[in-house]
Amino acid sequence: MTVDEKAAPLGVSIPAPPSRLGQTAAAVVVGAVLLASAADLDIDWGEVWSIPGQIQRYGRLMFTDPDWERLPRALFETWRSISMAWLGAILCVVLSIPLGMLAAHGVGPTWLRLTLRAVFAVIRAVPEVIIALLLLTVTGFTPFTGMLALGIAGIGTQAKWVYEAVESIDDGAPEAVVAAGGAIAELARWALWPAVAPALTSFALYRFEINIRTSAVLGLIGAGGIGSMLTNYTNFRQWNTVGMLLVVVITATMIIDATSGRIRRRIMEGAKQ
Amino acid sequence: MTDQHEVGPGSDVSGPTSWSIHLNDVSVTYPNGTTALRNVSLDIPAGEMVSIVGLSGSGKSTLIRVMNGLVPVTTGTVAVGPHEVTHLRGRQLRQLRGHIGMIFQGFNLAERTSVFRNVMVGRFADTPTYRTLLGVSSERDRDLVFAGLDSVGMLDKVWTRASDLSGGQKQRVAIARALAQGPSVMLADEPVASLDPPTAHSVMNDLRHINGERGLTVLVNLHLIDLAQQYTTRMIGLRAGEIVFDGPAAEATESNFEHIYGRPIKSNDKLAN
Repeated sequence: MTVDEKAAPLGVSIPAPPSRLGQTAAAVVVGAVLLASAADLDIDWGEVWSIPGQIQRYGRLMFTDPDWERLPRALFETWRSISMAWLGAILCVVLSIPLGMLAAHGVGPTWLRLTLRAVFAVIRAVPEVIIALLLLTVTGFTPFTGMLALGIAGIGTQAKWVYEAVESIDDGAPEAVVAAGGAIAELARWALWPAVAPALTSFALYRFEINIRTSAVLGLIGAGGIGSMLTNYTNFRQWNTVGMLLVVVITATMIIDATSGRIRRRIMEGAKQ
Repeated sequence: MTDQHEVGPGSDVSGPTSWSIHLNDVSVTYPNGTTALRNVSLDIPAGEMVSIVGLSGSGKSTLIRVMNGLVPVTTGTVAVGPHEVTHLRGRQLRQLRGHIGMIFQGFNLAERTSVFRNVMVGRFADTPTYRTLLGVSSERDRDLVFAGLDSVGMLDKVWTRASDLSGGQKQRVAIARALAQGPSVMLADEPVASLDPPTAHSVMNDLRHINGERGLTVLVNLHLIDLAQQYTTRMIGLRAGEIVFDGPAAEATESNFEHIYGRPIKSNDKLAN
């Protein structure tokens, strides 16, 4: 059983295996964290076993006979969600391109770069839903609120993509503009923008895709669109209609994702030439 | 200095006044601690064609960049024409840079835009920013762009995308960009290091014409000794940030070059070997 017993017949000494102390310690820590976090979740272990059955029951309620009567209204609300997502994406992109460029190394002054990056980091830390909840008090339960929330919440990430794209380009053309006496705005328009335009267009479409998904979530807090309709009929427990709404949401999201993704691929392939 | 406005449309012979350059005890130490120039003093009269020769890392690029303020001096003063470069900031510095044309080893064009847009960069210092941002150019600016391209034989490529040009064509477009500034001084940082020998000669010829016909002061960084001797009248040798040779280029001997380079001359120190 021991190493020595095996080594004897071979007549050679086998080197000691490497220590597994590190891995063992890591496994113990991970396990402890898992148990500690499960402790306060009030998990009813008896109910856990009934979850698959419950999923089947609600699945049957929703999808055996979806109620298509309210389809026109569902399509209208979907259109409102798409509009919210699209306008939110445009607002976000229009704000984050100049701000992101100013936050790039070698463009704006250092104090501005650091300030902007701090602002982006703060925005990234606040979820869209929280921003929408804050805006609700001012602009009310409307898709307009949703659009503003999407526009502002996206800036944190979008502007970060912009400055990372700008910092990755070759610094030749920017140097030439500075050497010819160009101002920061001219540098941004005629040296940075031509180099990053394909990437930024692709990022803008990606923002739209993200917003489509997020806009459904914003509906849950009453910002209008298909998400609001979904919440209402779930509260009414009208499972036939909820089933129909889920079909509409998932179909619309998949179609938009696929289309936008194809356009993005074409843009990036065109940029390589 | 507004005398460059006398440059008439299409006129590429009657240039603006040429400027002299004076460096007084200039030292440059970069933030990372590297000292690129040590106590360099230099007088270059207006209209001279000067080569700066040295190994890579000898401080050639830094020397040429302190003249238009791309690299700030650590100590000492730089005067170009009537301006004290060291004291200029913001708008005044951009105005000065407008009078100093510069071309680069890597051409530094915005690859994804047209030749026209690239040469228009040369007009930035003299054009209100709102105009350049909107891409609205005046009749006079357009004429200066066309004249610049015409004088380097690239007018037929004016609407071509910069990325579709060969290396030699790109460098000529870069020269046209500098000429469109209506400059009083022309700086060239290793302008032929990325070009094949015949193209290198034609670009050096363009620079000689600029010096001969327009009477511009031309400073060109080179590491190839035969080009320096063939095309320039005065040669400055740099070694480890110090001037170790200054005299007529044609009279420089093999031992002068060995002193500048700090080693025996090799066949790849010359273009024709």
